[in-house]
Amino acid sequence: MVSPEEKVTIGTVEDVIVFPWRVKLPARIDTGAAKSSLDARELKVHEDIVEFKLPQKYGGLHLRLPIIDWRHVRTPEGLERRPIVELEICLGSRRFRTIVNLTDRSMVKYPLILGRNFLKENFVVDVKRRRTVKPNCSDTFDEENSKHLRSIH
Amino acid sequence: MKMVSIQNSFQKRPIGLSQGLRFLLLLTILLLPLGKASAEEKMVIGEVEEVVLRPWGVRLPARIDTGAATSSLDARNLTVKNNMAEFRLSKKYGSLQLRLPVIGWQKIRSADFRERRPVVEITFCMGPKLIHTQVTLNDRSTVSYPLIIGRNVLKDNFVVDCVHSNCLPPSCSEVPSQ
Repeated sequence: MVSPEEKVTIGTVEDVIVFPWRVKLPARIDTGAAKSSLDARELKVHEDIVEFKLPQKYGGLHLRLPIIDWRHVRTPEGLERRPIVELEICLGSRRFRTIVNLTDRSMVKYPLILGRNFLKENFVVDVKRRRTVKPNCSDTFDEENSKHLRSIH
Repeated sequence: MKMVSIQNSFQKRPIGLSQGLRFLLLLTILLLPLGKASAEEKMVIGEVEEVVLRPWGVRLPARIDTGAATSSLDARNLTVKNNMAEFRLSKKYGSLQLRLPVIGWQKIRSADFRERRPVVEITFCMGPKLIHTQVTLNDRSTVSYPLIIGRNVLKDNFVVDCVHSNCLPPSCSEVPSQ
């Protein structure tokens, strides 16, 4: 197990870059969330593929990704089913492949929530800080690992 | 010739050392204020920690939530009269009946409703620290933890490592050291 000293300390908000589209998003670092989630607008599901848009504020990019699972979420309105997709993000100097729930987060401030599933192995959170690491990952897109990530033109 | 060169190097070394020391000293003085709030000096806690509510001595598991700006407590049968909040803790934690002054209200935005929640002050022991803080009161019966510890508490004292839980058991001295 990695000791806290070896982990990277990050703050409550960090900028990340979503690959391969190189969209920069501010992410809320949230130890209260079991899983990460992404603000997905105009979400449509066609069998095992999900289509959605990022918020206009972050370019409104239209994405089409394979659904790798479903998550049942308890909300005040009842049980909700949310698609889970895999994303490749750059935080600090490292690229991570991680899973995120898709949900309309227009009511909240940050388009991406990074939850415990993401933070666990790699990061320690110091809420006194914010934007402690600049996303700075290499440009080379790993085709082999990421061929199932595609955008719609 | 060999002897001379050795002597020379001996003479030079003390000077080089003291310069090095002076530089190191200067460096420490310069870096000292930077290191003050570093994560290394803060206590590392996990995603869930136990705390003890003072003065009642009730032990509660708390979700450590960097996504929450403020902390909140599960309050059942909540009523507010004349600026006093009356409520009880959930059965699981002894149903303790509490009556505390309301010091403010927090507005909650949500897709379908607007809500105002009373804010009270509580004291609890977390690790070796006695923490006096504000919490919002609401019925949290749908969630797993009776206490959410948000950024208002975490800020000055702790860093969060999600691989762990219960890594800092309450260890405050019996007499509250306010």
